[in-house]
Amino acid sequence: MRTATTGRPRQRRRWGWENWVIGAGIALLLLYCLAPFYWMVVSSLKGPGEIASNSLWPRDPTLVNYRGVLGGRDHFGYAVRNSVVIAVTTTLLAMVIAVFSGYALARLRFRGRNLVLALILACSMFPGVAIVTPLYQLFADWGWIDEYQAMIVPNISFALPLAIFVLTTFFREMPWELEEAARVDGCGPFGAFGRIILPLAAPGVVTTGLLVFFAAWNEYLISSVVSITLASNPVTVAIAKFAGDSEFQQPFGSQMAAGVIVTLPLVVLVLLFQRRIVKGLSAGGFR
Amino acid sequence: MSTTAVPREGTRRTGDWARRAPLLPALIFTIVVTQLPFLVTIWYSLRSWNLLRPGSGQFSGLDNYVAVLTDTQFLGAAGNTILITASCVLVSMLLGIGLALLLDRKFFGRGLARTLLITPFLIVPVATALLWKTTMFDPVFGLVGFALSPFGLGDVDWVSSYPVASVVTALVWQWTPFMMLLVLAGLQSQGRDVVEAGQVDGAGPRQMFLFVTLPHLRRYIELGVLLGSIYVVGTFDTIYMMTQGGPGTASANLPFTIYQRAFLGFDIGQSAAMGVIVVIGTMIVATLALRLIFRTFMATEEKLS
Repeated sequence: MRTATTGRPRQRRRWGWENWVIGAGIALLLLYCLAPFYWMVVSSLKGPGEIASNSLWPRDPTLVNYRGVLGGRDHFGYAVRNSVVIAVTTTLLAMVIAVFSGYALARLRFRGRNLVLALILACSMFPGVAIVTPLYQLFADWGWIDEYQAMIVPNISFALPLAIFVLTTFFREMPWELEEAARVDGCGPFGAFGRIILPLAAPGVVTTGLLVFFAAWNEYLISSVVSITLASNPVTVAIAKFAGDSEFQQPFGSQMAAGVIVTLPLVVLVLLFQRRIVKGLSAGGFR
Repeated sequence: MSTTAVPREGTRRTGDWARRAPLLPALIFTIVVTQLPFLVTIWYSLRSWNLLRPGSGQFSGLDNYVAVLTDTQFLGAAGNTILITASCVLVSMLLGIGLALLLDRKFFGRGLARTLLITPFLIVPVATALLWKTTMFDPVFGLVGFALSPFGLGDVDWVSSYPVASVVTALVWQWTPFMMLLVLAGLQSQGRDVVEAGQVDGAGPRQMFLFVTLPHLRRYIELGVLLGSIYVVGTFDTIYMMTQGGPGTASANLPFTIYQRAFLGFDIGQSAAMGVIVVIGTMIVATLALRLIFRTFMATEEKLS
């Protein structure tokens, strides 16, 4: 601000002042968003002797917490593996189904199309807690408790509405004349779709797939009911056991290490695909 | 798109069902997995069924609903749900508008700042809850206590002293980016010509915001409020992780109470009745939300068809 008052033209001075306020505002908000992460990472790197000392960075960084979490008797590594299997399977299956639906809703005209879209969206707003008990009973009857499919099937059905909606908005922007051209050149309807439209739609499909992956990775309620033993727990359930139930209560440092392990893959994905994710989220307005 | 729509009109009748076919897998799957279990929930809610009382399970009409609606724990949880949802949506919307206005300007590193700002929304909610419960609010290890210790507030146990406020803080942190993205989409859809016309008419920055930008954003804000409400009402993991609904039932919301009643209290009938009540409430809000979605995102489409 001081430099701005040294006799510059009026216009410039005002901009300088505004930029300072905006800059400070953004810095504050970034601090608000990032301080919790920072503190989690820092705490996970502190050894038992330092953990209560509230120093702003680890004076003697150590991986002892990570070794404890991944190598300990509870095998957090298993939970990471379970989550990867569940989330990847959910994403692949949901995307195959959603691509067809999104194509139909964006491309084909038929009566009741908006009604179908509304119906699908309504299902995405359905509170999961209202169906947990029947799902549990059903899966128990089928012997699905502690099986991956008990988490994959509900995940798919809760991810589908989001995936279909975001894909539909992406598909609407496609140059459909190309599909017509491919058909004229002798491609069948599936050939035209697979060779021309799908490659063009790849960015939208990847974005949607990422959102579905996040939703599946984050799911907790249904998993906590249908996955009981450590062998099938996804990361969300494993973390809750770390910190919630006294039976499995872990030291603070280990909790933070587990938090970092669960958060890191998502942060990396967000940084890699930032533009697409922002586009997908604002197109859908959904999680 | 309008150019290809015209020749299609002729084949409209013949292919009607073939056109709907690609939708069937998704529709069937979603309805079978979410709606059929809900019918079962309604069925449960009409029976007096407690797993701790062998032989219970007979039809009891609306008894569960009467029991639930006169249950102070349920009413308390309903009050908490409204309090938590309303304050979370309101605060995160205000912060979201502020953030969106800041991010709508061009500055160095805007893309990076935007990415960092949306990360809280994409983080595992269970980890978010853990983050706030221990990293931020813990009386010994927490950053809040550390930051406030010069003011003599260093050893306050925030989560047990102010459970609802703590939960709301974590939820606001998680939901602000969602609101920001919606408002930002609204800001970026605002036509340049409108802004220029306003400037030509001599509107100052504050007038521009109040009389041009805000009315344009109204729809996006409404949508954010409605969708945010629907999702925040269903919050379970944050409360389960941070407070377990406690101390006592001070911070229990409806999803937590439903879960507790079914899986710790084993009263399937009453739990189901609460579930049905929550669904009815959600449906009312969701109907409004759906209308808005169709007006906001489908507007161009409707003009074409």
